[in-house]
Amino acid sequence: MASLKAYIVTRALLVIPTVLILLTVVFFILRILPGDPIAAMVGQKVPPEVVEKLREEAGLNKPLIVQYFEYLFNILRGDFGKSMIWGKRPVIDEIMLRFPATLELTIFGFTLSVLIGVITGAIAAFRRGSKIDSSMRIYSIVAYTLFIPWFGMLLQMLCGVYLKLLPIGGRITPGSEPTTITSLYVLDSLLTLNFNALIDSLSHIFLPALVLGIVLSGAYTRLLRNNLIDVLSQDFIVAYRARGVRERKVVKHAMKNAFIPVITLMGLQFAILLAGAVLTETTFSWPGMGTFLLERIQYRDYTSVQGAIVFYALFVALISLIVDIVYALLDPRIRY
Amino acid sequence: MKKLAILFVIAVLIAFSGCAQPEKKATPTPVATETPETKAITIGVTDKVTDLDPANAYDFYTWEVLQNVMGGLMRYKPGTTDLEPYLAESYEIKDNGSVYIFHLRKDLKFADGTPCKAEDVVRSINRVMTIAGDPSWLVTDFVDKVEAVDEYTVKFTLKKPISYFLALVATPPYFPVHPNYKANEIDADQTAGGVGPYKISKWVRDQELILEPNPYFFGDKPKTDKIIVRFYQDATTLRLAIEKGEIDIAWRTLAPVDIQSLKQNANLNVIEVPGAFIRYLVLNGNESTEYPTKDKLVRQAIAAAIDRNDIAQRVYLGSVEPLYSLVPKGMWSHKDVFKTMYGDGNLDLAKQLLTQAGYSEEDKLMLELWWTPTHYGDTEKDLAQVLKEQLEKTGMISVELKSAEWATYVDYARKSAMMASLFGWYPDYIDPDDYTTPFLKTGANRWLGFPYSDAEMDELLEKAATSTDINERTKYYEQVQDKLGEDAPIVPLIQGKLFVVAKKNIGGIVLDPTMIFRYYLLYWQ
Repeated sequence: MASLKAYIVTRALLVIPTVLILLTVVFFILRILPGDPIAAMVGQKVPPEVVEKLREEAGLNKPLIVQYFEYLFNILRGDFGKSMIWGKRPVIDEIMLRFPATLELTIFGFTLSVLIGVITGAIAAFRRGSKIDSSMRIYSIVAYTLFIPWFGMLLQMLCGVYLKLLPIGGRITPGSEPTTITSLYVLDSLLTLNFNALIDSLSHIFLPALVLGIVLSGAYTRLLRNNLIDVLSQDFIVAYRARGVRERKVVKHAMKNAFIPVITLMGLQFAILLAGAVLTETTFSWPGMGTFLLERIQYRDYTSVQGAIVFYALFVALISLIVDIVYALLDPRIRY
Repeated sequence: MKKLAILFVIAVLIAFSGCAQPEKKATPTPVATETPETKAITIGVTDKVTDLDPANAYDFYTWEVLQNVMGGLMRYKPGTTDLEPYLAESYEIKDNGSVYIFHLRKDLKFADGTPCKAEDVVRSINRVMTIAGDPSWLVTDFVDKVEAVDEYTVKFTLKKPISYFLALVATPPYFPVHPNYKANEIDADQTAGGVGPYKISKWVRDQELILEPNPYFFGDKPKTDKIIVRFYQDATTLRLAIEKGEIDIAWRTLAPVDIQSLKQNANLNVIEVPGAFIRYLVLNGNESTEYPTKDKLVRQAIAAAIDRNDIAQRVYLGSVEPLYSLVPKGMWSHKDVFKTMYGDGNLDLAKQLLTQAGYSEEDKLMLELWWTPTHYGDTEKDLAQVLKEQLEKTGMISVELKSAEWATYVDYARKSAMMASLFGWYPDYIDPDDYTTPFLKTGANRWLGFPYSDAEMDELLEKAATSTDINERTKYYEQVQDKLGEDAPIVPLIQGKLFVVAKKNIGGIVLDPTMIFRYYLLYWQ
């Protein structure tokens, strides 16, 4: 366990250069890109002298290297700065307003993707060579190649417009929000025992989470199927069966062994999920980080983009660390 | 250990989300007894509310929301473009239009009952000038001094006589705001509002906005007790939402193809009104560049080759109107100058002008036409493509299409880096001045990146802006438009129409060229 602790400390320390490199790259790329946040914000109408004054206020007239070190110094103090457009609100407020929405969608999408992937992968492996196996393999390819906006709209039309079962978009019906504790509506509804809000928020999250879940489940299906087939052909499984161990127990052991690469993929998928949420959020008008980042990149809102990326990087690093810990706990053979 | 790991994961997730800001709640509202289904009207939009502070908000949709929760000394009479006193009872114009005195109503109160007096108007306007936010030029370019003569009288001393100052006073930067607004800084999420028919009862950025009647409003009570605005990311989702019945009204902005399709829906009304939004082609005449558009003959030829009816039908499926002047149709002084001078898709004239300019089918005019995919909707690419086709029909022009994201596009425009570029204009105030001076007056048009400058044009614009006689002004603006047609630095293309798609049993949709959607007139039939 001591080695695990040392590993955690090393990993945590490695986050610092990772974020620094990322931040530096983003900082300079944004500024190399043509376009100006002030001009984009005020559009055409504002007189040039006002634009110049706003640029000066935002510190954009200073030498690039000065801007960089000022920004770095502020980040070290935990100050993400202020947005350059629309109300010039603190970047951390902008992030914290949207992050819970993305996190909630990610958790549900992630859970569904693992569930669907594991179930379909396991069925395919245990029915290897059958029609069901072929169907599952086709499913994994189709799911992986689905285009989120198209698939999302299809489900919106089917479940929303025609069947009128589920909402088209948004996180919750306006006015139905539960009392804010975590800003995760489903969790808050549960914590406050607000069952109307719970049903409402679940009905809103279902379609976007399902879309994300299905699209990302394809990789799990394939991975688990292949691993499970491999494990099922290993000697210890044959030995189990030869000794007359019950099939249920055999499956349990096989699944546990086949699951280790899936855990690795889960860590990677979580980061992909955050990125995939951009398309899902746009399709389902989900007010999260994806749409925020996209919008702010378009408007060259340097501080918001930098802040969001640093935040993402920290979050993904944290999730990777958690995955590694879970990995070690699941398989005691793993040493760091 | 496993349990510990699970607990750790949950704790981290909660810690991350727990620091989220709670939604902004405004002044407490008495609990409504009616169910939302019976009383509330839900409006869906793809726009966003940028900031709730009139000192910094400078976009079409935020101004619409501000017009519902605040008010100015003057306003546009619903359904018309006529100005009438609103928070003011009356006004006086002195010193040949350089001093405006407004006498306030004595029953003005903010949504929490705080009285609104002359000092509040002065404080709010000085605040706009101090903060110097994006729309502040609408005040600072014109107002030299604003003062409270007494409790209910406000006096504006202008830098020079301005004939359209009453129209300026009807814009949000002139609206009095509640004393809760931070004195000298932008208060982007402030919900205290001003003196308007509604107050903001709930506001969750990018998610929802709930309005309820201001109990202290001096005028008629709004016809609906609750207005809910839902924000959608794109036109497709907005369309699906109205089809499903998730919203009662689909407002800005549906795609032309969706409007056509929704017209067939028996449960919905598609209401169409003329708008004051215009689109135009900027032809860079900057003498310091090598652009062929410096040549007036080239600009005239391009103006002649463009077929606006074709654009209106093919690109916008009839959801816009052809436009032949910068002053939109329906506004006083409008003149179809481009139609009279060049016609539509007049290829013979275009060829003749191009020949005069020294071009031929062998030696073509090489034109770079710029467009942006991120600001004017999905139809923009089609607009650029159709324009290319129309210009190339002359056989003497070769068009290269170029595009850039909005942030880059505007930057390029300011730097005069585009030969020909597509732009659009939403008015700040409803007056021909807002459609001419910013484009054609020396200095005022620097944002376009090409220094179109003409002494005669400047003189006409100056006279039109300062004259207080409407007939005289009309005459000047007609002359301005004639000169615009002759020089063709900007070629008008189309004028937008407004489309509202609403459930059949919703009444009170009053829209006019001011494009302000007054939620307080809406009701269930």
